Amino acid sequence: MRIVEIAVIILIVLAFGLLITVAFSYIAPGTRIRPLGEFYLYATYNPYDPIVRLFTVMSPEGVTAIVWDFRGLDTLFETSVFYLAIIGALALTRGLMPAPRSEEGQGLSVIVKSVTKITAPMILAVGASVGLHGHLTPGGGFQGGSVIAVIPMLMIVIFSVLFLAKRMNVTGFLILRSIGLAIIGFTGVALFIAGLVLGVPAWVFQNMPKPGAPLSMPVEVHGALISGTLWFFNLAEMVAVASGFSIAFLILLLVKEVEFRGKS
Amino acid sequence: MLDGATVLRVIGSALVCLGAFAAVVSAIGFHRFKNFYLRLHASTVGTIWGTVYALVGTALISLTIEEFGATKWFIFGNIIVTAILVFLLGSAGSHTLARGVHKARVARVQPCVADKLDPELCG
Repeated sequence: MRIVEIAVIILIVLAFGLLITVAFSYIAPGTRIRPLGEFYLYATYNPYDPIVRLFTVMSPEGVTAIVWDFRGLDTLFETSVFYLAIIGALALTRGLMPAPRSEEGQGLSVIVKSVTKITAPMILAVGASVGLHGHLTPGGGFQGGSVIAVIPMLMIVIFSVLFLAKRMNVTGFLILRSIGLAIIGFTGVALFIAGLVLGVPAWVFQNMPKPGAPLSMPVEVHGALISGTLWFFNLAEMVAVASGFSIAFLILLLVKEVEFRGKS
Repeated sequence: MLDGATVLRVIGSALVCLGAFAAVVSAIGFHRFKNFYLRLHASTVGTIWGTVYALVGTALISLTIEEFGATKWFIFGNIIVTAILVFLLGSAGSHTLARGVHKARVARVQPCVADKLDPELCG
């Protein structure tokens, strides 16, 4: 019987291997690039070509260049939708207060708490690195903010919801989030306002100089590439997403633990 | 001749081999041990010996590859940080699992010599 079992297992493994090998030749990415993709690849970072130079973003990261420049207005409204979703959640749960005499709960053992205290600053560093290098390497503001939002999630699971609820200032986080969105909005219209002041044509959401609109955000600061608006967008988006997700996690998990007060 | 790079490479390779050996031992233990806590112990052998030692070994080897230039220090630092994280989180994670399962009385300790925390789970 054992021989039959082993033979069946080996046959299953071989069958899946064959299937994957055959399927791979169909689904594997080929070497052919479509013209649209070719344009983006060529124009993402290209100060050399005299014509493509007029469309470049000066960022070696194609995805961030598309998300925050080529289709930047779309991302602005995505961020606004996320902002409104958090506002909606806050409006639904307004008057939510930790009961005055409620126990905080024990949480997990002291070993896990100590390890969490050590790793939480490391998570913050990784999130900041992912967010602030968004214009150089894969990642960006949303991804970095999501990484940072893991910290309150860990605190909720390992310490307890009420532990976090008594220490986290929801209003402060909401203000931080609004500041993030305000920076995004201001960066979007910064060159337009500068154009109005200087009397030069300029676009809303403009980053690099365009034909007829010679103004440009700084490409480098002290030799470090920041790709104009992309760095500011990533920074502000990271702050907004991190604080937004923190509020969302806290509110959603707090509902079971607390009482509603008659506050309108 | 015995220079620094060779020594580093030999030590690193030895650590990687140790990690591979520990991974095999861990897999055998995971398959053969009788109860949940022992199997958890076997899997932690694979995490700490099999991953952390192998990572430190690759970090030492990466220092000897001159083609990387200054990048080798970034690779070294990344691998060491990863090793420290796996070291901390692997042990904390297995501790949490064992404690949670024992407190929830899900897995019995079997075969059992003594269970001072909860004698009813013994045997």
